[in-house]
Amino acid sequence: MYGVLTAAILSIGGTFLFLTFAIVANKAWREARESWGRARRRALEPKILSYAHGEDRSLLPALGGRLRRRDRRVVEEILLDHAQRVRGVERERLGRAIDELGYVDGYLAGLGSRRWWRRADSAERLGIAGADRATNRLVRVLSDPEPEVRIRAAKALGLVGGKAAIGPLIHALSEPNRWSTIRIADILAGMKQEVVNELVAEFDRMNTHAKLAALDILGRIRSLSVVGWLRQRLSDPERDVRARACHALGAIGDPDCGPVLQKALSDPEWPVKAMAAKALGRIRHFPAIPELSGAMRDKEWWVRANAAEAMRLMGPKGTEALERMLDDRDIYARHQAVLMLEESGVLDRQVDLLWRSDGPEREAAESLIRRFVRVGQMGRLRELLETHPDVRVREALAGMLGLAVQQAGGGR
Amino acid sequence: MTAGSARVRILVADDDPVAARFMATLLGEKGYEVLVAADGEHAFEIATRLKPDLIVSDLVMPYRDGFDIIQAIRNHESLTGVPIVIVSMKDREEDIVRGLETGADDYVVKPFNARELLARVRKLLARGGGRG
Repeated sequence: MYGVLTAAILSIGGTFLFLTFAIVANKAWREARESWGRARRRALEPKILSYAHGEDRSLLPALGGRLRRRDRRVVEEILLDHAQRVRGVERERLGRAIDELGYVDGYLAGLGSRRWWRRADSAERLGIAGADRATNRLVRVLSDPEPEVRIRAAKALGLVGGKAAIGPLIHALSEPNRWSTIRIADILAGMKQEVVNELVAEFDRMNTHAKLAALDILGRIRSLSVVGWLRQRLSDPERDVRARACHALGAIGDPDCGPVLQKALSDPEWPVKAMAAKALGRIRHFPAIPELSGAMRDKEWWVRANAAEAMRLMGPKGTEALERMLDDRDIYARHQAVLMLEESGVLDRQVDLLWRSDGPEREAAESLIRRFVRVGQMGRLRELLETHPDVRVREALAGMLGLAVQQAGGGR
Repeated sequence: MTAGSARVRILVADDDPVAARFMATLLGEKGYEVLVAADGEHAFEIATRLKPDLIVSDLVMPYRDGFDIIQAIRNHESLTGVPIVIVSMKDREEDIVRGLETGADDYVVKPFNARELLARVRKLLARGGGRG
């Protein structure tokens, strides 16, 4: 019995001892390997960077004529690290070295792996390497069953660039997954002018989902060359297409589009009106102020809010119109005017003027504040009554609010 | 002031060690003396102590960000005229405008083109370090 117990204790102790030794040895080995890796990186990185900044056709002479097996991982890490931080000639040279040393072949093989994370990783690395010979394979990976692999392949195609990559990426905009469409739209927008003509050419063949994304991309790229084409989209039978076209025109900011956007304000569909209003504000089209004032009475909140916001963006002329809207017959229009005048700081600036005992500025300030009170929107005024640093202003405001509250209560 | 004559001193401030090494090698190969700082606080300390002829700085850095450093340099008596080039991932119009308005002389978006960065550095150095 005693012997069995001793043997059990010894075997458990031995196992623990062995495990401790194994853990310590493993950690020591890993640390030694990392330290060796850092030392190799310090030794190899300047050579690789000299190659990147230089004129040599190959990286191999800088590495002593051949790539040692033990250095493969370190060299790959250095090349990929730098390739993703630069563009232009240096990136091309680093990409060429990645291909020359056989890494691209490895990534291409990785695209066929059964493990999805290896396929995703390989696609990503092909993009960093800018491996244009991988374009066709990456295009095929766009139909990978795993969404993460598809997205990394799309990103890689965006980095590889070129006409061959654009078509499949545009096609991928029709992905049913909205998240994927957003990511692909980001990639295409990042490719800038290169994708503009292709997007326009493919537009009629796209589903609605992709068409809307394409219009957003064109707006983000802000290419003046598509303004005429976007104006034609304002008569598209689909309301969402018309709305996004308005948005894109506003984003591009061509002031000549003012009249067509002004016309779009009377579109029968509210999303189009809302986007037209927003765009008119972005391009500061002053002649649209009367129509925007009218849009502030629209039955749809988005139209009212965007119209008021547009007038705020138009500066003093828009602000004057917003002040006039404080006396409008429509309660919703009055509320939007209050919100915008508060947001633009007009109310605060007028309240600041109450320190004056008289004069035209004081009268104008009082007049505006009384109109706010009549509308019944006094939240900001009450805040200022409590927080304004000037006691004269607080006193004047208290007097006006007291009088006015009674008037407002009786009037409405 | 050229790279070939008296050694022009450039401070590279970037918390990304890979990017910092890339820029340091690039500038070092062209004959510039390169100082590297990995955070904003360290960058300002080096700048005040070693008076670089030009500063290449990232915007997002620990302790003190690039905007803060630029402001501090512009307010520092002996550094006020030192040209500053921002090299940043921030590519939004408002960041670029803010960077230039804060006092930077030029703005390069990452990933950057090495030759373009070199050309901008040379141009600013040739201008004699004045901020116009």
